Amino acid sequence: MSESEYAIEVENLNIYYGNNHVIKSINLKIPQKTVFAIMGPSGCGKSTMLRSFNRLLDLNKNVRVNGSVHLFGRDIYTGDMDSVEVRREVGMVFQYPNPFPHLSIYNNIALGLKMNKLVKSDKELDERIEWALKKAGLWEEVKHRLNDYPSGLSGGQRQRLVIARVIAMKPKVIMMDEPTANIDPVGSKKIEDLIFELKKDYTIVLVTHNPAQAARVSDYVAFIYLGELVEAGETGKIFTAPESKLTEKYLTGKLV
Amino acid sequence: MYQFDMRRIKEYSFLGVISLLSFFMIFPLFHIIFTVFVDGIGTLVSTGPVFITGTLDDGGIGPAILGTLILSFFASLIGIPIAFAVGVYAYEYPYSVIGKATTALLEITQEFPTILVGLFVTQILVLPMGTYSAIAGAFALAIILMPYVAVYTKEAMSQIPFSFREAAFSLGVTKVKTVFLIIAPIAKRGILTGLLISVAKVAGETAPLLFTAGGLYQTYPDSLTQPVGAIPLLIYTLVQSPSPADHAMAWGASLVLLLIFLAAFIPLRLSIKEVRM
Ligand SMILES: Nc1ncnc2c1ncn2[C@@H]1O[C@H](COP(=O)(O)OP(=O)(O)O)[C@@H](O)[C@H]1O
Ligand SMILES: [Mg+2]
Repeated sequence: MSESEYAIEVENLNIYYGNNHVIKSINLKIPQKTVFAIMGPSGCGKSTMLRSFNRLLDLNKNVRVNGSVHLFGRDIYTGDMDSVEVRREVGMVFQYPNPFPHLSIYNNIALGLKMNKLVKSDKELDERIEWALKKAGLWEEVKHRLNDYPSGLSGGQRQRLVIARVIAMKPKVIMMDEPTANIDPVGSKKIEDLIFELKKDYTIVLVTHNPAQAARVSDYVAFIYLGELVEAGETGKIFTAPESKLTEKYLTGKLV
Repeated sequence: MYQFDMRRIKEYSFLGVISLLSFFMIFPLFHIIFTVFVDGIGTLVSTGPVFITGTLDDGGIGPAILGTLILSFFASLIGIPIAFAVGVYAYEYPYSVIGKATTALLEITQEFPTILVGLFVTQILVLPMGTYSAIAGAFALAIILMPYVAVYTKEAMSQIPFSFREAAFSLGVTKVKTVFLIIAPIAKRGILTGLLISVAKVAGETAPLLFTAGGLYQTYPDSLTQPVGAIPLLIYTLVQSPSPADHAMAWGASLVLLLIFLAAFIPLRLSIKEVRM
């Protein structure tokens, strides 16, 4: 099996909720170790497409996915990989920060590691948790209260805890679905800086409905409108010389 | 201004009628509690501690208190594990047969005369065993308990935002572990409150015990396969007697039942902590 130069390759992807055709024949190639932004107005299908990359759509019985998604050259929907393996390699950060409220800060990160047997000893677990929290820029703020519940953290801190929870698993891809949509500006800035830092080691797929954010942090960007891919390419190029009139309208705020 | 005043008059009279109706609804409840206290306290005071510890011959209701505890305990032991599993299953597969059935079940059981459950248990346990027994009584209560526990469990888990489920799955946690390690613990308060309400409900039941538990008040029960008493059942028996002394005792027993509820259930309910989001 050859390792692809692309982290994710999407071919002729179609997604339906019942009879509602939400993602329409999308082709997309996401290069490794870059920040790839997916932007588009609310309701255009960004979250749905993202959830097809880690088979999270499997949770919804009414969803149908056609076409193929390859993760580093391996098809995630046919026998190549099972869904648990896919989810281990493709971490996900959600629009609303969702640390588990009944688990301590420490155990929020430990859970995935233990469930997937990714560490061999308690010492390794401690080390991995500290490492992940440092990577997520949260260590200094929580090191003295690892056993506290996340309810005491601010929105931005919770989102960084969720990012630490993902990083700890050492996934190959980190997907973020509008990670700053519910965070104050200072917290958002920290998360954007963090995304910049993380792309050295990970491929990041960032969904946003905010073109300015895509311009700030991404290397590549895809513009989706009503379930169709309008255009995709290097961020600099798309923002300075978009090929499609629709993209231009969106970027100038004339499309809602 | 005329218009305005008419509207206010309508509003106020509407409010008045609603208040009056609420009063008539709540009044019986307070009246019951008040009467039970006033009439029960006399018996309790004049009889002393023997009322709690003694047998009927001593002028006490000890065997009935123990019987209620035994029946509730074994009904819970039989009913809760099964019902919890059914509730979890119904949450996990809401469109399955069991999923739809549990939801339909509560509506049915709320209407369902509990005495019929007693009859059913008589058929399958009491007649074959040839005697009333604690087991038969507990079994009847368990049958009444189960739909409540199942539905409360399912409802409590359904309240938990889908996002936690997604988060667990996205971390490679399996379906079964997601339910037991994530969803159920977050829904802990709802589930435990449901358990308490369900147990409280069956602890106060009389009808299903009439011809299953039978009753035993002269001595303490010493075997699960022998008849056993219960406070509600004893009250029912005492009130039927023409003797004023028995009526006084029924009031005392009622007060004890009320106190058990207040003493056991209020602190328990308050001690169940909400998981802070
Ligand atoms: N669970 C669901 N069931 C049915 N339809 C859904 C569901 N989630 C999203 N949709 C529909 O799919 C379309 C795309 O939604 P979504 O992917 O959430 O868009 P975005 O993330 O770009 O705002 C919308 O029309 C939405 O109504
Ligand atoms: Mg979305």
